[in-house]
Amino acid sequence: METLHLSGGEWPGRARALASEGWLLSDLCGLDRLGLSGGARFHVVVQLVHHERKERLTVHVEAQGEPPSVPSVTEVWPTAAFMEREAYDLFGIVFDGHPRLARILMPDDWEGHPLRKDYGVGKVPVEFVPQPLLQVQAPGQSPRPAEAGVEADRLGQGGEPARREGGRT
Amino acid sequence: MRHDLVGRFEQGAAGAFVEDYDELDERMTINMGPVHPATHGVLRLVLELDGETVLRAEPVIGYLHTGMEKECEDQSWRSAVTIVTRMDYLAPFFNEHAYSLAVERLLGIEVPKRASYIRVLMSEMNRLSSHLVWFGTQGLDMGAMSAMFYGFRERELILDFYEMVTGLRMNNTYFMPGGVWMDLPEGWERAVDNILTLLPRRIKEYEELLSENPIFLERTRGVGVLTRDEALALGATGPIARAAGVDWDLRRDLPYDRYDEFTFDVPVDTEGDVYARYKVRMAEMKESLKIVEQAASGMPEGDFRNTDPKIAVPERGELNRSMEAVIHHFKLVTQGYTVPAGETYAAVESPRGELGCYVVSDGGSAPFRCHVRDPSFVNLQSLEPMVRGGLVADLIAAIASVDPVMGGVDR
Repeated sequence: METLHLSGGEWPGRARALASEGWLLSDLCGLDRLGLSGGARFHVVVQLVHHERKERLTVHVEAQGEPPSVPSVTEVWPTAAFMEREAYDLFGIVFDGHPRLARILMPDDWEGHPLRKDYGVGKVPVEFVPQPLLQVQAPGQSPRPAEAGVEADRLGQGGEPARREGGRT
Repeated sequence: MRHDLVGRFEQGAAGAFVEDYDELDERMTINMGPVHPATHGVLRLVLELDGETVLRAEPVIGYLHTGMEKECEDQSWRSAVTIVTRMDYLAPFFNEHAYSLAVERLLGIEVPKRASYIRVLMSEMNRLSSHLVWFGTQGLDMGAMSAMFYGFRERELILDFYEMVTGLRMNNTYFMPGGVWMDLPEGWERAVDNILTLLPRRIKEYEELLSENPIFLERTRGVGVLTRDEALALGATGPIARAAGVDWDLRRDLPYDRYDEFTFDVPVDTEGDVYARYKVRMAEMKESLKIVEQAASGMPEGDFRNTDPKIAVPERGELNRSMEAVIHHFKLVTQGYTVPAGETYAAVESPRGELGCYVVSDGGSAPFRCHVRDPSFVNLQSLEPMVRGGLVADLIAAIASVDPVMGGVDR
């Protein structure tokens, strides 16, 4: 399987030439090469297939700049529309000239691009509301909220006493 | 539509059924799904309608997105199979197959002939079970509820066979880089024979039920037409493309894993409508039965996986006899094997089209990147040209004929 390495500027011209030779777009995805040596950090990896020749071809397009950007090839291969949206959504690679570059898999208001290597998996802060411990109350005994707070502290369920205004029970 | 009701839905508000309504030209924008019995999972379509005519249909996806490609990067090469198998949940073996082929290519290892034949056998069984689900849902959406019962009844036979071989009915995690996890169990020939004698008769019954059924013909002929040029431009693969006249099947044209040793036909049609897709899929089921028959009768003896001790987990008995086996077992389970740095793309012909896996290794013991090109994801783009200008009822027929699996679309 042959591999072509192109810069963003060369890509639309080569794409048109390849399409006129009969190459069809099979797959397009982003690649974050953070930590790998050589070349730009972000690549767009394109898999082409030729039905008559029964061959495959891989194209690496370097995405330069901030945000990393690459010209869109939706005019050459309309099937790229969803795939470029996916690469934008997951890697933040901007495809110039895409008819509707919006998030496709993540929610519209999501921040960040989750398949980037420096995206904090497991580092997203999760808010735990400290809960008062469930008290077993003997009949005729009055509840002792002060002690419940002490108990919660001892078990490490938050550094401050249980908040009441949250409304959760 | 009662006009006084329209104002009760805020325009464009999330969760509203009617997003936009214009009294003068009767155009409205409507949400179909994500929870709708005819959208086969959590597919949402934003429809622009003029009365009953569909002007625009935009798929909105991502409701099932769980970041599986990212999860693969945290798994060892061996255990990433458990993630990819869950993507297209109606075709688990094809996901595993594409991933295994890619990793094998990076490792540069050979797969024994028996392993290949087992994979072909299981893959074609999977194509049957997946097409049976499509048959059931296509029939159900056209109002033929008995098709659903029949399709699921026969699928059960095949799921029982999976359970016999892999221990599970879905998400099998059976293929692995280098071969398969376990050899076929005792008595598998009888189970295959049973399926091979029963299914051809049953498929004939299905065809009697639907192929000349006037209601079914009325609802499918000339409906949801996708031309050959549109199919090629939109990257449609599988039965959708073949029904539109694209004569392309990876099993025949870019053979992988000893598919070149099997003889079968690739059914092609030229109409490109829902009925053509029905015919292509029914014919494919018969071809799959042929391949299953050849794989079962020609099943070679030998290893069911590559026995390189650096890759294959040693068998239980070995651990009692050999110190090296214990060391290899410990290394493989705690750390896993490493794969030489590089990248590759391997594709298989799944029931829905080209299912490809693009894998990058940085030389470590986990995939650096594992991208899956899911056919349902790409094929969904061809839904709009199919339904534009048609009726809402035809849209239902078209969705069923695309046969999208949202687990694969959203990954």
